[in-house]
Formats: sequence, structure tokens, C-alpha cells
Amino acid sequence: MKGNETMLDFRTSKFVLRISRDSYQLLKRHLQEKQNNQIWNIVQEHLYIDIFDGMPRSKQQIDAMVGSLAGEAKREANKAKVFFGLLKEPEIEVPLDDEDEEGENEEGKPKKKKPKKDSLGSKSKKQDPNAPPQNRIPLPELKDSDKLDKIMNMKETTKRVRLGPDCLPSICFYTFLNAYQGLTAVDVTDDSSLIAGGFADSTVRVWSVTPKKLRSVKQASDLSLIDKESDDVLERIMDEKTASELKILYGHSGPVYGASFSPDRNYLLSSSEDGTVRLWSLQTFTCLVGYKGHNYPVWDTQFSPYGYYFVSGGHDRVARLWATDHYQPLRIFAGHLADVNCTRFHPNSNYVATGSADRTVRLWDVLNGNCVRIFTGHKGPIHSLTFSPNGRFLATGATDGRVLLWDIGHGLMVGELKGHTDTVCSLRFSRDGEILASGSMDNTVRLWDAIKAFEDLETDDFTTATGHVNLPENSQELLLGTYMTKSTPVVHLHFTRRNLVLAAGAYSPQ
Amino acid sequence: MEPGKMALPKNAPRDALVMAQILKDMGITEYEPRVINQMLEFAFRYVTTILDDAKIYSSHAKKPNVDADDVRLAIQCRADQSFTSPPPRDFLLDIARQKNQTPLPLIKPYAGPRLPPDRYCLTAPNYRLKSLIKKVRIFIPRLSVGAVSSRPTTPTIGTATPQTVSVPNKVATPVSVTSQRFTVQIPPSQSTPVKPVPATTAVQNVLINPSMIGPKNILITTNMVSSQNTANESNPLKRKHEDDDDNDIM
Repeated sequence: MKGNETMLDFRTSKFVLRISRDSYQLLKRHLQEKQNNQIWNIVQEHLYIDIFDGMPRSKQQIDAMVGSLAGEAKREANKAKVFFGLLKEPEIEVPLDDEDEEGENEEGKPKKKKPKKDSLGSKSKKQDPNAPPQNRIPLPELKDSDKLDKIMNMKETTKRVRLGPDCLPSICFYTFLNAYQGLTAVDVTDDSSLIAGGFADSTVRVWSVTPKKLRSVKQASDLSLIDKESDDVLERIMDEKTASELKILYGHSGPVYGASFSPDRNYLLSSSEDGTVRLWSLQTFTCLVGYKGHNYPVWDTQFSPYGYYFVSGGHDRVARLWATDHYQPLRIFAGHLADVNCTRFHPNSNYVATGSADRTVRLWDVLNGNCVRIFTGHKGPIHSLTFSPNGRFLATGATDGRVLLWDIGHGLMVGELKGHTDTVCSLRFSRDGEILASGSMDNTVRLWDAIKAFEDLETDDFTTATGHVNLPENSQELLLGTYMTKSTPVVHLHFTRRNLVLAAGAYSPQ
Repeated sequence: MEPGKMALPKNAPRDALVMAQILKDMGITEYEPRVINQMLEFAFRYVTTILDDAKIYSSHAKKPNVDADDVRLAIQCRADQSFTSPPPRDFLLDIARQKNQTPLPLIKPYAGPRLPPDRYCLTAPNYRLKSLIKKVRIFIPRLSVGAVSSRPTTPTIGTATPQTVSVPNKVATPVSVTSQRFTVQIPPSQSTPVKPVPATTAVQNVLINPSMIGPKNILITTNMVSSQNTANESNPLKRKHEDDDDNDIM
């Protein structure tokens, strides 16, 4: 018992309770009247009472916010300024007319108006006050291949389907057959061309979703023979003899619990129970680096949206920020009381959200490693996180089957989506943030109306001071559709650039 | 393989029934039937390991029998080894504070694939080819000009004594020549003090080969060259990379 860390944590730290001033006065008076010093001593020693001025909370509000192993979050824990805006997209000479890219930095509003009107006027570099400065953290510069990717992205954006309650996306489900309950991680590239699966037999398998096969680069001897000046040199470096639909990557010595493609599709990360995170090259299909630091199973890993950085979280209760060219982590995010189950980057790459088995979600600043937000409210370990594309909101899913929506700027819970009956293990917003898709172990995918969930928020100073918002009971109105699979838990969700939903899971017959 | 079915037959071994009861007492109600076997195996392995260790400790202490103290010591030592738990929270907060103080390093532009120094990567060749030479090797490059043909560069082939013997075979069996080619390549790498020489010999061997041997063999030899060269070059490079180490150790 002495050595048990959880026990020590409970004994040394104080359980945080938030209570209105009026209620606190009543409680204090009651306890002192009854001459019951025992209880008062316990309260003083082990509880931290965070008093706020305002209306006492209703039972429903209290129920929504409790659940964490250490109580609720203190108000000052959520006071730091968070730059939740998106970074400006760099100017690229595009053959077509400029699209939504430059409009993004202006919009801080939840309503996604058509930015086309504003984009023409926003050539002036008006800095979004909520966006971090461009050089707040060092980011890799854009290479030519990245610029080509961005141009492709913009072209695809024009063909994107506008989703809404009357225009629901189609869902294409990729079922992993014969996985014998061994599928433990899935990731899909941003342009939806590759899908990777991490398995309990410690392999990582990469499939090509498009008809284009996977090829590895030729051997060094062959490369010296090709003409380097030819236009299609990128095709010529690929060895046709190695073309196949599937590539298997061997190297881990334990089940692979996390997988993440790099944005430029050159690398794949995988994290495993053996405590390492491995970087694989998708050009040679070999392992390049093993990052050792967690000595315990690493439950999740993700590349930053701009590449170069990646974050991993594991059983040792910390999340680590790494760069691909440093063999040691750059930042350690310590503070959770239990395993870090899920780690995600904010779209502007300046913040990392971690969901933990201690039922809290914390938002960390990459620049200095500080915890800037603590969100409590889930009643079970958190298994999925996703940021909205505009960077303002965070959706989280846990074993209690609820999906909670959080406003990052104010640090408040702004929505609760009830409907799933089992762990919500995958969440994803559509490309423009209109629809939230959630996949669960109860073999369903549900679509929720995100625009409606985020509109009409009463986030004035008063509510920010009290720390909570009245949550409407509107889960039923927000639910746009429930789609059942045939006993296949939905492990991963992905919106293609044209707003088609790809879902992945392993068929597990019952 | 169906989870939840845990009804053991009445004539199951007593140990299995005990294990099922333990699981029930711990609050685990749903598990695959194989879990009982796995837990029994673990229990058996753990107990035998502890008792073996206890026997060793008691014999070390020159005691006639295994004592309770020996068993206690064995348990303690094994617990420190196998059942480690993650570091305590204050320790993590401390190292996190240390690590988070250093500013994020700037990113060098135009760096190609951004990977850690080679010694931390898994990109080095993890094999070395076995030499086929059985005789004592004397790797002094000799000028055995008259050995093979009119090519002036042949002297370099004669770096290994067997070459003089094998030379007549060259014309007859390309295959055996190939194997001889292997042996020519390898000695230079093993004679590391003679570094500059193997580089040149290797290169010159490439020049010789194309006309004398078929295309398949060209590939083999150039591969050898590249791998040997990298093996040779990686050594000086490795020394250079000592400076790249970060100072702080996690």
C-alpha cells in the first residue's frame, strides 16, 4: 500500500470542490452548529473548496461537471490565455483564384460563414487576436512538395460537399477482417490515400486506399543509374518490382497502440506497449528511429499538423513532445494522475490536448509545457479527442458513452451529447466543422449537428467567472443519424477532403 | 473464444477452480476461458522463480534449509526487478519543469530528412559479410602483374594471396569469379589500418568488372562497394557525431 502511487496522490493532494458562496456559508454554519469537528477537520484537510460568487448550480449542472478523480478544476486553472486561433496560411501562387485559405485567419466566430467574401478583402495582414504569433514556436518551412500538396488541397476544397442537417455525408466503412480482435490502432493520411493499422501481434500494416500501389525506393546502386534531371524523377526512383497493395512493417515487440501519418506522407509513427515510438519511412518501408523515453506502454501518438513535432502519451502518466531529429523529448507534460490515453495537437500546433484515465482532459502549451486548461466532467477514462477545424472547440469521448464539447477560449463545457451506450473511441469533425461524427464500441457511428451545438453560447464575463454554463438537454435534436455496423466497433473516423466519411474497425463476431 | 463464458466443468482441476474464485473475488466477472490458464501459468512461473531465488540465497548463506527469510528476500528482489511502477508524481513534475525550461530548438532549413544523429537511428547496416577465405590472410597489396590479363589495374586484384590461384579460373567460370570478387572486397574492410588503400582498390575493382563479368555481378560488386564504403566511412562519421549529443540525459 505504501508504494502505490495512486494512494500517495490521493493522500497528498486535495480534492477540489466548487461551491457558490451562499451554499458554502450554509454548509459552514451547519457543520459548526452541529459541533461536529471531525467532519470539519476532514473538510479542511482534504478538500479544497473553490468558492465562486453567483447562482448555485443545479443538480444537473453539478452532475455534468463532476467525475474527475481529483475533483473539479479550480477556476484559476482555466484562466490562462490560450491562443486558439489558426495560423495564417502562407501565400502560394495558385493557378486558380485564391480560396478559403486566407479567410480562415479572420474568422473567430463559430458560424462558418462563406469566407469567400472576406477573403478578397483580407489581403491586409490583420492579425487574429486569438491566433498565436507565427513564430511562437519554431515550425518547419514549407518545401516545394508541401506547396504542391497545398495546391492539391485547395483544388479538392472547391469540390467539397457542404454538409448540414439536410445534407449528411456518406460513410464508407473499411472493415479489417481476420484480425482476431488484434486491431489496436488505425490512421488514415490527410488526403485519404493510405491507411495504416497497428496490431496486437506487433506489426504495422500499411494499405493503399487508392488503386495506386505502394512502392519502395530503389536500391542505392540502381538509383545511381537513373537520370536525375528528368521530370519524372520521383517516379523513376520507385522500384516497380516492389509494388504491392500491402506493406508490413516489423520492429515493435509489443502490440501497437497508436499510429500517425506525417502530413507530407513520408513518415509513419507507431507507438507500442514496448515503450518505444518508432518512425518508419514510407519510401523504403523500413524503420528509421526508435524513440525511447516512456518505459511503459505508449497508448497514443500523433504528428503535428505541420510535421516535425509529435506527441506521445503513455502509462507513465505523462505526455512527451518530440521532434523527429532529437532522440530525447523536448517537452514533458506531467500532471495527470493516471495513464494518458489520448494525445492530440491543436490545429495551430501550439497546444496539445491529453485525455487521461483520471477522467480529465488537459490542454498543454507547447512553448513552455504549462497546463493551461483542465476539463472535468467525464465519468470514465477518456479515449478520444478531437479539435474543431476552427480551433475553438474540443470534443471528447469516454467510456461513459457521452461526448462532451468544450470551449477552449473560456474553458467551459458547452455541450453534452448523449446517445452512445458504450465507450466512444473515435471522434472527428467534418472539414468545415459542421458535423461531428462519433464512433463507439457499441458498433455505431453517430452524426451530430455541430453548428447548432455551438451557436447561442452565453459566454459573457459572468459565466466565465462562475465557470459553468447552462447546458441545454438537446442531445436528441443534435443527433442527425445513427448508423449501425454488423458487430464492428468503430476504431477510427476520417473525413476526406471532400467530406466523405471513412470509418475503420475490425469485425469481431459475437 | 467468446468472452463472458466462464463456466468451468465440475471436474476441472482444483487450481483452476481456485483461480476462478480469485477472479470473482477481485470483481472480474467477464473474461475469456483462456484467462484462467494464463493466470495459473503466471502464478506457477512466479512461485517457481521466487523459490529458485530463495534456494540460491539460502545456499549462499550456507543454511541447510530454505528459510522464510530467504523467501522474503527473494520476493523483495524480484519485486524491484519485474513489477516496476511508473515514477511518482513529484518526480515527474520535477523533471518536467527541468525539461520544459529549455526553449524549443530552432529548425534548420534545407535539412533533408530530419533524423537524430546516426547512432540513435536504426539506419546503419546490421550485417557484415562473412569472408570465404580459409587461409591465413596477408593483406598487403602486391603487384602481381603477370597474373591475369593485360589490364594494368589487375595488380589491385591481387591484394589477397588466393587471387593468384584463382585467376586462371576467371575466364572459365564466371560464378566462381564472382565469389572471388567477394573475397577481394572484404579484406580491405577488415584491414582497417590500411584505410585509404581499400577505398581505391574497391573503386578500381568496379572499373575492372563491367567488361569481364556479366551485369548481374556488377550489381553485386557495386553493392559491396557501397556497403563497404559506408562501413568504412561511418566509422569516422561516428566519431564526429559524438559532438552532436545533447547534454541532458532523461
